[in-house]
Parts: sequence; structure tokens; C-alpha cells
Amino acid sequence: MIIIKNLTHVFSTGKGIFDVSFKVEKGEVFGFLGPNGSGKTTTLRHLMGYMKPQSGQTLINNLDVWENQSKVRHNIGYLPGEISFLDGLTGESFLNMMAGMQGASSKARREELIELFQLDIKTPIRKMSKGTKQKVGIITTFMHDPDIYLLDEPTSGLDPLMQKVFIDLVLEEKARGKTFLISSHSLPEIERTCDRIAIIKEGKIVTIKDIHELHSLQRKTFNVTFAKKEDVNALLESELSVWKIDDFIIQIDIQGNYDKFLTILSKYHIKNISMDDMSLEHTFMDYYKREEVSP
Amino acid sequence: MSLSLYKQMMKVNFKLIFSFGVGSAIYVALMTTLFPMIEDNMQQIDEMLVIFPEALMRALGFESLSTYSQYIAAEYYGLFYLFILGVFTIVISIHLIARLVDQGSMAYLLSTRVSRAQITVTQIAVLISGLLIIHILTFASGYIFAELTIDYENSFAFLDFFQINLVGFLLFFAIGGYSLLISTLFNDEKNAFSLAGGITFAFYGIDMIGKIVVDIDWIRNFSLFSLYEPGKIASGDANLWLSSIIFILIGIIGYLLSIFIFKKRNLLL
Repeated sequence: MIIIKNLTHVFSTGKGIFDVSFKVEKGEVFGFLGPNGSGKTTTLRHLMGYMKPQSGQTLINNLDVWENQSKVRHNIGYLPGEISFLDGLTGESFLNMMAGMQGASSKARREELIELFQLDIKTPIRKMSKGTKQKVGIITTFMHDPDIYLLDEPTSGLDPLMQKVFIDLVLEEKARGKTFLISSHSLPEIERTCDRIAIIKEGKIVTIKDIHELHSLQRKTFNVTFAKKEDVNALLESELSVWKIDDFIIQIDIQGNYDKFLTILSKYHIKNISMDDMSLEHTFMDYYKREEVSP
Repeated sequence: MSLSLYKQMMKVNFKLIFSFGVGSAIYVALMTTLFPMIEDNMQQIDEMLVIFPEALMRALGFESLSTYSQYIAAEYYGLFYLFILGVFTIVISIHLIARLVDQGSMAYLLSTRVSRAQITVTQIAVLISGLLIIHILTFASGYIFAELTIDYENSFAFLDFFQINLVGFLLFFAIGGYSLLISTLFNDEKNAFSLAGGITFAFYGIDMIGKIVVDIDWIRNFSLFSLYEPGKIASGDANLWLSSIIFILIGIIGYLLSIFIFKKRNLLL
């Protein structure tokens, strides 16, 4: 449904995207993950026909995007990463304008979404908070019921409750057979919805993996508090990768081997387990290193 | 052209269009109501004008003040009108494209089936509508106040006044053409504004210098403003057709190039 072939676009600064290729199948939710400035938005701009590829090609529904811009956009819901609407409009007049430009005839879907996100459409846009503006963007993107969604950092600015509403919306649309390409800099933000994930770094695709595979590759660190000092020492001898923090607490690195982790720990009396929140950067770095070492 | 976009764009730019339109209309109204006083003392004023340096008279576009058209051409259309409409045309041209690209809101407008060409055409329509509204307000104000205050049969020449406004509209139609073209070329609103403003100001300056320094009168050929001489329109000495055709051509070329360039360029949205 979405095909990117050897897409390259280098800016005068030397940054850009280099030989990016991937496919998104119909009905799939594809995550596009990378740190800020890694080329996610540049790739999406090519998919929207805002930029002409220096080399390579982007196809949506077998149509070259640059050559058939407005025809291709017909079926796309695009949420730009940068929230910037027109000055001096209310949420309502902006939505009216966009609905008119989208050629949407029915107002029902829009009303549903406004209800879902609890948006006050009478507020002037310039008085809205970042999260509220993001809601306007999301409603605009979803209200004309497109087949393909291209979402650039969709949950930025949304509170956890609204993030959940958004994720449920994506899952609902996915169940209806819609196709998604979601860019993000944070894995937890998109892992609940995505089937596959591409990781991009400095304009190059590092890997494309099934989400389950990626989970098994992701390293997690647990802090385990034992009741007895001897148990700590016993565990230090085990085959898990373990560091001692103090007499009762150890840190265990897990990467996919959860069964072994649980089997070993089940033999001991444990007072507490907590998981370190690993930043994406950390996960990435870990992941990149492994990629470079492996043949 | 997208009607939904046109409607909202007119709404967004309503304040800008009306503040300039009303400002222009009030100025014309004020000047018009002063005319009967001038007319009563015409003889003395004409005598006084004789002692003015000729260069200054040329620069200000004073031909004579004997008719309303000549008076209003000198008092408004030769100077303030050019400033007011110049600022308006450049500001709105930059707002309609370059600012939307700079701020990123163009990403939303371009996220629908409406093509780049359709968006440019819509913005051109907004620009021309704005110019039309301002000129209609200005013309109506001049006409109404002339009707109310001037001994109509004596001095108010409807056709002259209409031509002054019409050719003025076409002048800014042309200035809008190259300003919008510049607007489509830049990612940065400020750069677009500087270039469009700079070019227009240079045109004005060249025209002024050519008028004051008679020896280098020829440099006025390089300025659009030399084709708009409201004083001469009032006295019937201007070549209306030539000016109008050149303005229309420049405008149309500018607008067509805007559509073409905006369709082809990379947008950092």
C-alpha cells in the first residue's frame, strides 16, 4: 500500500535521508521510530508529496506520490508533526474549512470525534493549549475517514487519558482494515498499536523488525530486593547478568529470557521487584551496538 | 480554487482588508469635504502654486487644482494612496503564501485533495478580492462625499475619478503579481517581505528621482509607478490603455508564475 524505494534527499547541511526503503501493507500499523532530527518528518514529507525525491520513489496505492499529489492525498489522513493552524480561527471554523477541502459530506464522524476527545470547538485556536491543538489536528486527520493514516508524533502534548483514547481510536481503525504509518521518538508511545517498526538513525534505516521481535531484543533492567543476604550471593553465581547494588538488592539485565528469570527467582523469597525505566535512547544505543557487532 | 479555503481566508484577512479599506475611505472622505473650501479660494491657491519649485510640483503630481479629480489626485492618489495600498498589497501577499509555509500551517491546507495549484489560485483570488474591496470602499467614499459637499455639475467628474481608481487598482494588481510570486519563492516570511518591499520601494524611489531630476527623466521607464499618474488621468493627458495593459500583463505573468513555481518546489512543511 505504501512503498518507499531507495528514497534519498540530502540537504545543503549534509543532513537528510539516505537510501530509505520500506513497505507498509494494507491493514498494517507501521511504527517509524527514531530520535529527533533522524529523518522521520522528511520521509513523511515525501509521502505527502511536499518534497521531490532527489533519487528513489514513493508510491501509495501504486501511484507515484510526487506526480499524483492531490489524487494520492484523497485517501490520506495526515497529521503534521508541527502544530500550526491559521491565526484567528476558532476550532470550529478550522474544522469546517478542512472538511470543505477534504470534500467530506457527512458531519457525523466529526461530531463523534469531537465528543470522543472532549474538544470545545468554540475556543479560538490561538488560545488553545498544545494538547488541545493536537486534538484539533487529530480530529482533522480522522474526520474524513481515509484509508491510510500518516501520523507524525501523534500523541505529543496529549495527557495520558487522551493518549489512551487515541490508541483505542487507532486500534479501532486498524480493526476496520485501515493502514497506518506512525512516527515517534518513543517506543512505549506506539508499541501497543504497531505490528512492525522501522528504526531510523541519522537518515538511515537501521532495522525493520516485528514488534515482538523488537521486544525480545529490548533490554530491561530489574531491581530485585531479597530477604536474605545469602540469596543475593547465590544469585550472583547464576547465569543471569547480575550486579550487586547493596547487601539485599541486585540488578538483573533481561533481554528476552524472561522464563529463566522467573524460574530462578521463584526459588527465593523476594520482597520487591521494580523495573528501571529505560529511555528509548538507551534502548537504541544498546540495540545499535548489538547490530554493529553481529555479522 | 477551493471555496472553503477562500471563505476562511477572507475571514482570516478580514481585519487587514477592512482596516486598510476604511482608512483609505476616511482619508478620501476627509479630503473631499475640504474641497469646497479650496475651490472657493482657487484663485489665490493657483497664484501660490506658481511660486512652488517645478520639481516639487512634479514629484507630488500637482498638475492644477481646478477640478475635484485633479485635487484628489494630488492630495491622495499621488502619495498616501500609493503608500497605503503598497503596504497592504505586500503584507497580504506575504501572508497568503510565505507566512503559511513559514509557520507550517500550509501542511494542513496541503493535506487534502486540494492541489497546490488550486491553493495558489484561491490565494490569488483572496488578494484580488482584498484589492477590489479597498478600491470599492475608497471610490464609494469619494463619490458619496463629493455628491454631498461639492456643487456636482461644476467640478465632480465621475469618469475621471473612476479611471483614477481603476488604473490604481490595476497598478496594485501588478504589484500583487510580483509580490505573490516572491511569496511563493521563500521559506522564510521575513526574507519574502524584505524582497517584495524592497523592490516596490525601489520602484517608487526611481519614479520620484526621475520626476525631481529632470535630466534623468528616462530612469522613470524602469519604474511601474511612472505608468500611474493620477494627475494626468484627471486632466485627460494619460495613456490609460497602455498603462492598463502593462499592469494587467505584469500581474497575470506574476500570478501564473506563482502557480507554476508553487506547484514545483520542495516545501519544508
